[in-house]
Amino acid sequence: MNIFISGGSKNGKSSFGQDIAVRLSKKGKLYYVATMIPYDDEDRVRIARHIENRSGMGFETIEVGRNISSIFERADEAGTFLVDSTTALLLNEMFPESYEAEADPTAVTRCIEGLLEVANRAGNAVFVSDYIYSDAARYDSFTESYRRSLASIDRVLAQKCDVVIEASVGNRIIHKGKTIYEKMF
Amino acid sequence: MDLIIGGAYQGKLDLAKDKYDLEDSDIYFCTEESCIEFGKKCLYHAEEFSLWCVRNGMEATELLDKHKEEWKDSLFICEDIFCGVVPIGEDMRAWREMTGRMCAYLSSKAKNVCRVFCGLEQKLK
Repeated sequence: MNIFISGGSKNGKSSFGQDIAVRLSKKGKLYYVATMIPYDDEDRVRIARHIENRSGMGFETIEVGRNISSIFERADEAGTFLVDSTTALLLNEMFPESYEAEADPTAVTRCIEGLLEVANRAGNAVFVSDYIYSDAARYDSFTESYRRSLASIDRVLAQKCDVVIEASVGNRIIHKGKTIYEKMF
Repeated sequence: MDLIIGGAYQGKLDLAKDKYDLEDSDIYFCTEESCIEFGKKCLYHAEEFSLWCVRNGMEATELLDKHKEEWKDSLFICEDIFCGVVPIGEDMRAWREMTGRMCAYLSSKAKNVCRVFCGLEQKLK
């Protein structure tokens, strides 16, 4: 089973993801695939908050900033994987050296291939992304290319996954797979 | 008239091409540089038309209302730019609000309204 969750910042995506992953895993292995590479204290605080939130839920954490399908070298494929988040993965793949450098144009393809491999091989996978597409702003070309790239990953995953959920201020809008979703709860 | 809204890069035009059997020549790409051709079958990036209105001291809703006979069988596609934070620039603030008003107006006139989320259609009306 594959699940895709997106939505605005602090709208409950990660906690939904954790909840769903726990339900899917039954008694099998449960992995938290942490894609954020911390750059500063703000990131470290955010990570600490996430670790605190999921403590006691039975997750084994796998840290992987790039090359997402390498998780299978370190985990039982039959398990349940919560990938949090595709947003951080894309950023890391676009800037392997530093944010000052040119963005790697092959990053999107690598992300899509890797994430599809996770979806195909994992017993269950839950993917968390961020919805960053509804602003009255003219962004610079870098930001615009990042938004376009993340959207193309989102659309591939939404098509691939059995259930697509939008987290909206703590509520869930089910865009796909309503029957499957209702059976889970 | 039908209306499709959704965030940037969500697949609004792909869905429209699929559902409404559009040829490339049916699609009018709105820009902030000029007014729209009201009679086109599909008016894509309607939010750019409202930016043109802002820049030229017009109210998008009023202008559309004047020409409503021309677009009564059209399809409008608009980015939901009014969902984000209030921008600092005056033009951008006016643009955000005018686009919100325009979509509310179009939605009230439309037979069908849908939102596109990551390529998936969500029926609103």
